[in-house]
Amino acid sequence: MSYGKIGQPLGRIEGPAKVTGEAKYTADVLLPGMIWGKVLRSPLPHAKIVSIDTQEAEQMPGILAVLTAKDLPDLLTGRLVYDMPVLAIDRVRFIGEKVAVVAAEDPDMAEDALASIDVEYEEMPAVFDAHEAMKSEAPLLHPDYRSYAHAPQKFFSDIPNVHSHVTWKLGDIDKGFALAKRVFEHTFNTPAVHQGYIEPHASVVAIDPDGRVNVWISNKMPVRARELLADVIEIPEERIVVHLAQIGADFGGKGSLMDAPLCYHLAKRTGRPVKMVMTYTEELMAGNPRHPTSIFLRTGVTEEGQIVARQAKVVFNSGAYAAFKPVPFVNIPGAKDAAGVYGTPHIRIDAYSVYANCVPSGHFRAPGDLQVNFAVESSMDMIAEDLGLDRLEFRKQNLLKDGDWVPGGPQLEEVRVAETLAAAVKASSWNQPKSQPNRGLGLAVSHRLIGTGEANTQLTLEEDGTIQVLTPVPEVGTGAHTILQQIVAETLFLSLDQVRVETASEIFKTDSGSGASRVTYVGGQVVQQAAGELMKLILAAGAKGLGCAENEVVFEGGRVVHSESDGSLSLAEVAKMGGDGKSALRVKKSLNLSEGPPMTTFTAQVVELEVDPETGQIRLLDVVTAHDVGTIINPLGHQGQIEGGLLQGVGFGLIEELRMEDGQVSTLNLGDYKLPNIRDIPPLTTVLVEEELGPAPFHGKAIGESSITPTGAAIANAVYDAVGVRFHDLPITAEKVYWALQQHSGGEG
Amino acid sequence: MTHTIRLNVNGKEHTVEVPSRRLLIDCLRYDLGLTGTKEGCSVGVCGACTVLMDGKPISSCLALALFADGKEIVTVEGLAREDRLDRVQQAFIDYGGFQCGICTPGMVVTAKALLDENPDPTVDEIKEWMMGNLCRCTGYYKIIESIQGATALEPGGE
Ligand code: FES
Ligand code: FES
Repeated sequence: MSYGKIGQPLGRIEGPAKVTGEAKYTADVLLPGMIWGKVLRSPLPHAKIVSIDTQEAEQMPGILAVLTAKDLPDLLTGRLVYDMPVLAIDRVRFIGEKVAVVAAEDPDMAEDALASIDVEYEEMPAVFDAHEAMKSEAPLLHPDYRSYAHAPQKFFSDIPNVHSHVTWKLGDIDKGFALAKRVFEHTFNTPAVHQGYIEPHASVVAIDPDGRVNVWISNKMPVRARELLADVIEIPEERIVVHLAQIGADFGGKGSLMDAPLCYHLAKRTGRPVKMVMTYTEELMAGNPRHPTSIFLRTGVTEEGQIVARQAKVVFNSGAYAAFKPVPFVNIPGAKDAAGVYGTPHIRIDAYSVYANCVPSGHFRAPGDLQVNFAVESSMDMIAEDLGLDRLEFRKQNLLKDGDWVPGGPQLEEVRVAETLAAAVKASSWNQPKSQPNRGLGLAVSHRLIGTGEANTQLTLEEDGTIQVLTPVPEVGTGAHTILQQIVAETLFLSLDQVRVETASEIFKTDSGSGASRVTYVGGQVVQQAAGELMKLILAAGAKGLGCAENEVVFEGGRVVHSESDGSLSLAEVAKMGGDGKSALRVKKSLNLSEGPPMTTFTAQVVELEVDPETGQIRLLDVVTAHDVGTIINPLGHQGQIEGGLLQGVGFGLIEELRMEDGQVSTLNLGDYKLPNIRDIPPLTTVLVEEELGPAPFHGKAIGESSITPTGAAIANAVYDAVGVRFHDLPITAEKVYWALQQHSGGEG
Repeated sequence: MTHTIRLNVNGKEHTVEVPSRRLLIDCLRYDLGLTGTKEGCSVGVCGACTVLMDGKPISSCLALALFADGKEIVTVEGLAREDRLDRVQQAFIDYGGFQCGICTPGMVVTAKALLDENPDPTVDEIKEWMMGNLCRCTGYYKIIESIQGATALEPGGE
């Protein structure tokens, strides 16, 4: 099928604003009389607050307000479960928790004042490791967690500090293991990693004289943010306006209120607009990183190498609060992929989300998927080797097929994993003889179900004949607005410059925002449907104007044409006539998809690398990433998602770790917390296995969370192939490789 | 203690009163309202705050405003001329050299300095020069393509 606007490699509609510096992010909002807020954070992982003395700080020059929990309503907040105070109430639970806030004429003054706030703490026993926290003698972080608003009753647990225990099952796990000839057990661990967006969280609040609360916030879900804010500041939603600014990337990490409630309280106290911008150090100590995870797998295999049973226990270190988890079961969805891309008749997966005295964890692109995929795909290689099977053949033999079920997902149709895997292998040097010592190849495969949720839009035919598309989804960097423009233009047979995408949050009541690879699927469908309805209105109004019946007109060359008389009207003319003669032609539409399509998307990667045995340094020689894709709406944006995700996967595999010791993050700036830089990029080959059968508009599929997932495992498998050392922990840093090689060779060399 | 400094920013003279510890980035963003220059890491690692001082890229988050007294500064706002984007800016749009755009002001300013010095850089030279600019969105592939693409365009802007 060929389209006009769909499939074009288009530059971003917001491009000129972004390359000239005109694009406004939250931290760029400057308001007359604006002042600055800064928070004092806890230096202890677990302690009672005995007293806070703010007197001296209050007297300092330029200080306009100092607030502690006593000055705020006694309320908790969170993206779903409300378990986190705005400022610590009586007790701190992690190093970096907010204890007091200061407003000052400038940020330096605010910073100075923080140093003179005197907090007396009484230390309490703390627990940092999730497994330790699950033991009966562990200190309880939230003895009353069952009473928190929106706590997921169905998933409560009697295990200490476990605030959510979710189970996914297929078949009968005991029967599965009874069928198995061999049973394998493996354990893997992955650390906390930060989303690494370059824009730290920022919030601005300005209260109008009539009490209307204006909010700017680095948050990808403005409609939800308004709802959450209304609850925690006790102001009705109708009196809150969330103004949409650009977002300096999200990657799942920008869905909370962060400092917005504090900005509000300071603004209320001082009568001035208040801005708070986290420093990157605050981001690293108190952002909402990917969950540190431990994954235990038990796998039952028949004599013929068929996987018949998979049991998984996935333990997520939730940190001190569950407040950054947005899903209703308050756990991490990626755990459900613990059987990987392999058709397994008997599955039982248990996911535990556990409180501990560490920075609260949140969502990061493909939450849980990376951790679990690293475990599953590493274990595939280990099992194959143990059984004396080829690791590619062992995988092929077990791949998902049409009609198979995946845990927490639908019965699958159009399964294209075999093709995707074959394409990755073919584009790599997999079938060539091993070239040199210390070089190795690794392979990993993943899948991702397409996200569901709610999306909204409003389309208006404007007087000048252009279409205004209103969306409550801000542009987080994924190119969502450009895609929505393409879909509307395609559906209405218009040129791109006749379609303007604008953001507005206040006209929509609820919305899931951007995330879970849902924008193209749900957001795309809602604008496509709205555009279809708008076209009907345009034809009806045009027919009326031309004095003929609706079925006698067509839309051609941007005009409503009455073919018999050759009379026609431009869109601007139709717009002036309006729907019923006065109101504008407008369609407001909402779409709520609670069930996903019976389809998933596959990714297969092959990594070739070289290990320097002297230093342990790993050099990526070649990466092939193959994707099962539908119609690609914007190839430029699509490839950008693949490349960006892939390098984050490389970071996860080789570089990144938010190092913590006794709850204290030690990588506290971007010099210590290393993000991949331009010299870390591997030679990359992308293979698109295309077929026009996706569920999104024009048969598109999702791509945002695909390429990041298998990279860590593919690297680990390649390292093993190169030097025979199996890593059960990520990242595989040069230092770790060096020591492992020392041990491996018995300390020589 | 405050000082009076004179800056030429994007061709315009400014006289600003600043306290000794005022950083150049804050002077640009808040005293002059030029918020195109972004702050990411605040420690000289990410390059989001890059501006040109007398033609050379520097991290404005590390420089004191005083240090720029009497100097010529070019920020991202100073690259385009009227409606005409600099070729680096145009290429970043055409080749998809950004997603969220927060790193972009620093990227295009740094890349412009590169092409001013080396009109036809190799990929390795691009990597070497751009090493101090982090981008979390793009994976850098399209940034390299953008810079290479820019070399084929007419130098626009100024
Ligand atoms: S903000 Fe200056 S280098 Fe990062
Ligand atoms: S485009 Fe987002 S950090 Fe570079």
